[in-house]
Amino acid sequence: MKKHYIFLLFIAFVYLGCEKDDVCPSTTQTTPRLIIEFYDITAPDQIKSVPGLFAIGLDSDFNEVPIYNELVSTRSSIALPLQNNSSQTQFKLYESYDIINSTVNGNPDIITVTYEIETLYVSRACGYINNYSIQTFSIGSDNDQWIINSEILLTQVINENEIHVKVLH
Amino acid sequence: MKMKSMSKYFINILGCLGLLMGLSAQETKSNGIDSLIVQKKYGLRVGVDLSKITRSFLDTDYMGFEINGDYRLSKNLYIAAEIGSEKKTNITNYLNSTGKGNYIKAGVDYNMYTNWAGMDNLIFSGFRLGLANFNQTLNSYTIYNINSLTWGQNEMVANNKFSGLNSGWIEIILGFKTEVLNNLFMGLNLQIKGRMFETNINNFETIYIPGFGRTYDSGRFGMGFGYNISYLIPLYKKS
Repeated sequence: MKKHYIFLLFIAFVYLGCEKDDVCPSTTQTTPRLIIEFYDITAPDQIKSVPGLFAIGLDSDFNEVPIYNELVSTRSSIALPLQNNSSQTQFKLYESYDIINSTVNGNPDIITVTYEIETLYVSRACGYINNYSIQTFSIGSDNDQWIINSEILLTQVINENEIHVKVLH
Repeated sequence: MKMKSMSKYFINILGCLGLLMGLSAQETKSNGIDSLIVQKKYGLRVGVDLSKITRSFLDTDYMGFEINGDYRLSKNLYIAAEIGSEKKTNITNYLNSTGKGNYIKAGVDYNMYTNWAGMDNLIFSGFRLGLANFNQTLNSYTIYNINSLTWGQNEMVANNKFSGLNSGWIEIILGFKTEVLNNLFMGLNLQIKGRMFETNINNFETIYIPGFGRTYDSGRFGMGFGYNISYLIPLYKKS
């Protein structure tokens, strides 16, 4: 009889061994997005919201790529995901974005971010994340530019808690 | 699916061992009576781990083999050792890596079971010191990025091999060995392991250590089991 208890103990232990799974906890710092905050050009220390702000990604062929979870709203900051298979990402940032009779209204400006990618090991369950080191942040000029100037506040993009780029409008 | 096949596998093992134990019990009843001075067999017992062989056939991500042996020092004390080789590929959502290498474990087993006259079965506990020399290859990885839906997610092929890795651990072992035929033993054992050291890998870590098994984010403990068949080469008898 004694032997049977030991059998059961074995089985229990072996099952415990199998059950222990690797699930990446959602609290783990993921690959961060670029955080931009908007300031007033007339008072550069003052945060100024952008009415009807909306961002669209642009791929290398200049095709529009919708940003997941991006909605039109008046706000003073935005988080933009950078491309991981390129050292450059472009976005179209709209002020006063609106669609009237299926025509897009609003003022689009194009921004270009260049960066270096650093791949960092996190854990068995989550594997690797990317961090970025911003090299340049530029604004494409047009006749009706709403973004006047910009400043890189933090070149190292390692989380989303800090503002990386300050945009003046 | 995997759990299901595992459980089937263990039920099979249970069934086999139950049967074998029944056999051995019958056999020894007739053996035990005819000698008054009962002598114990001393010698070298050599075997293989059947679970590693079986798993090598069933699991395409695993290859492994282990030879084990023990030598009886006194009535209840044995010195024991295992040498083996393992290769295991671990795949998660974000990582695909392979650990491959050799290991050696050495220590003692102590028999806690009081046998009937003429029987030589063991319920034992013991300890081992384990050492592994291995390499690990990062086959591919996918960047952990919860915002990947915008630009899409690529699996990056790395094929990055880290060689000359070492790890050492201690284990507590608990198991039994039953003589199923004359000098032929079958046994099952469970190992609880604590890792003492390992080579650090730059921007990566050990995922699978041959002999130790897989590692966990949560700590340095591990677990393993063996299902052994072994043969006792009797050298002399002592009462």
